[in-house]
Amino acid sequence: MRESIGGKFFVTFIHIILILISLTCILPFVHLVALSVSSGHAVDLGQVLFWPVGLDFTVYNYFFENTPALRAFTNSVIITLGGTILSMLATVLTAYPLSRRYLYARKPITMAALFTMLFGGGMIPTYLVMNSLHLINTYWSLWLGGLISTYNMLIMKSYFESVPGEVAESAQIDGCGEVRLLMRIILPLSLPMLATLTLFYGVGYWNMFMSVILYINETSLQNLTVVVQGMLQIQGNFNMAAMDMMQQQEMVSEKLKAVGVVVMVVPMLVVYPFLQKYFVKGIMLGSIKG
Amino acid sequence: MKITPAAVGTDQAPAAKEAFYQTKRFRQNIPLFAMLIPGVLYYLIFRYAPMGGLVIAFKDYNFHDGIWSSPWVGWKYFEILFQSNVTLQIIWNTLNLSVLNLVFGFPAPIIIAIALNEVRKTWLKRWIQTVIYLPHFLSWVIVAGIVLTLFSIEGGTVNKLLGQWGGEPVPFLYRADSWIAIFIGSGMWKEMGFSAIIYLAALSSIDPSLYESAGMDGAGKLRQIWHITLPGIRPTIILLLILGVGRLMEVGFDQVYNLQNPTVLEKAEVISTYVYKVGLQQAQFSLTTAMGLFESFVGLVLVLSANALARKFDQGLF
Repeated sequence: MRESIGGKFFVTFIHIILILISLTCILPFVHLVALSVSSGHAVDLGQVLFWPVGLDFTVYNYFFENTPALRAFTNSVIITLGGTILSMLATVLTAYPLSRRYLYARKPITMAALFTMLFGGGMIPTYLVMNSLHLINTYWSLWLGGLISTYNMLIMKSYFESVPGEVAESAQIDGCGEVRLLMRIILPLSLPMLATLTLFYGVGYWNMFMSVILYINETSLQNLTVVVQGMLQIQGNFNMAAMDMMQQQEMVSEKLKAVGVVVMVVPMLVVYPFLQKYFVKGIMLGSIKG
Repeated sequence: MKITPAAVGTDQAPAAKEAFYQTKRFRQNIPLFAMLIPGVLYYLIFRYAPMGGLVIAFKDYNFHDGIWSSPWVGWKYFEILFQSNVTLQIIWNTLNLSVLNLVFGFPAPIIIAIALNEVRKTWLKRWIQTVIYLPHFLSWVIVAGIVLTLFSIEGGTVNKLLGQWGGEPVPFLYRADSWIAIFIGSGMWKEMGFSAIIYLAALSSIDPSLYESAGMDGAGKLRQIWHITLPGIRPTIILLLILGVGRLMEVGFDQVYNLQNPTVLEKAEVISTYVYKVGLQQAQFSLTTAMGLFESFVGLVLVLSANALARKFDQGLF
C-alpha cells in the first residue's frame, strides 16, 4: 500500500516522539550511575552527565559499611520472598474456587471481594486492627495486610475460567479431585499468569513503603526503601544553614543519594528482562478476559 | 457418570439425576471451601473489620477505652473537618492534585498506545516497550531520588547546567506551581508506558481490514485513528475512566509523601499524608478517621455515579 507524504511525515514524527520518551526513561539512570561512581569534585562542579568523571567507588563502601543499608537490603529480601510466596498461595487458593461454576454462593463471595476495591476502612482503622492483633513490628503485618490484591485475584480467577471446560470435566470423570485438578491441570496451564502475578507481588513487596512506615517502627527491621528514603530526606531538607557544612560531607551525601537509588534499582533491572515477556502476555490475556 | 439406557425415559430418572448431581456438587464444594478459608479470613479480618472500625469517626477514640467503649460524639469531627481552614485546604489540595493527575495522566497512555501501534519495526517496538514499562516497577522513593537529583536547588543537575549557561538557579521544588508540575510530570513518567499495555491489548483486537479499506477510500492516518482506532478502544477507555474517576479523592500516599517538602506543604499536603502525620504520629485517631471515611465515601459515590453514567451508554462496568 502506498503512503502519502503526510502519512510518512506523521509516522516519522511518532517515531521521534516515542524514542525521546524512551530516552527520558533511561537517561536518569545512566546519569545516576555516572554520578555514583564519579569523584565528588567532578560531581560538585556539574561535570558529570552520562559518563563518569574520575572514577571513585568509595561511597559504595561507605554506603554498605557505615549505613544500615546492608541490613535493610537483607530485610527487603526476607519481606519480598516471604510475602510473594504467601500472597501467591492465598491468591491461587481464593481464585480457584471462585472460578468454579458449581461453587455455592459464588456470586456473593466474589461481590464481597470486589466491594473492598471500592470502599475500605482506611489507614487508622486498619492500623488499629493490626495493633489489636499485636502484629506491629512484625513482618506479618506486611504479609497479612497485603495478602491478596483483589485486582490480582480477579484476573487470576478469570484466567482460570478461561481454561477450557472439557479439559477439567474429562479429568473429573477420570476421578480427579479438586486439589489434583488444580495442581496437575489448571496451574500448569496458567504459567504466564502465575509468572505475571509473582512479578507484581514481588515488585510490590520490594518497593513496599507506606505499610513499612506505618507498621514497622523498629529501625533494625525496616527495609531498603524506607532506609534510602531517610537518606534522601536529610539531603532534601538541606537548607541554607546546612550549606555551610563541610564541603566533604556534602559531596558524600550528594553521592550517597545516587548510590542508594542505584542499589535499589539494580535488583529490579536484573530480573526485569526475564519476566517482561511473561507479564506482557499475562496482562494482555487478563485484560481481554476481564 | 454415564447415563444408562435404563434410566432414561423412566419417571423417577430426572429426580434421581438431580439428587445425584446435588450430592456430587456438595462433595465438590467441600475441598473448594477448604481452599477458601485463608482468603475469607483475610477479607474478614483485614478488609471488613477495619470498615467496622470506622465507627471511631463518630466517637472520641482513646486507647484506654478501645473502639467499643469510647464515648459517642456524633458528627463532631465532621463539623471540625468542614469548619477548619487547615482541613478544608487539605481536601481541596487532594482534589486539585488528583484532578490534574487525571486530566494529564489519563490521555497519555492512550496516545502512547496509538503511537506504538504505528511502529512497524518489531525490534524497535519491543525495545521502546521494554524501556517505557520500566519506571512503573520503581518505587516512589527511587523516583523521588531522581527528582531530587535533577531538580533540587543545591546540587540538582538542571540547576548546575543552568549555572554553567549563566542562569540563576531556580527553586523548582520550593515553588508551588513548579512543584505541582513536577508532581504531575513524574506521575505521568512513571505510569504512562505501563498503562498503555491495556490499550495495546484492545488495539490488537481491531480488525486490520478496516484500516485497509479506509486507506483505499483515501482516509489519511489521522482520520483512520479518529474513525477506527478510537472507536475500537472506546470500551477500554470508558472502563478505565470509571476506575479513574472512582479514585479522584485519593492521591497515592507514596507519591505525595516522597515528593513533598516543608516549603510547598500548603499545596502538597493531601488527605492520606495528613491522616498519617496527624492521625498516627499525633494520635488524633477520630478526626483523621472521619477524614478517611469522607475520602472513601466520596470515592464510592464517584465510582457508582460514573458507572451509572456509563451504563446509560451501555458501557457500565457493573
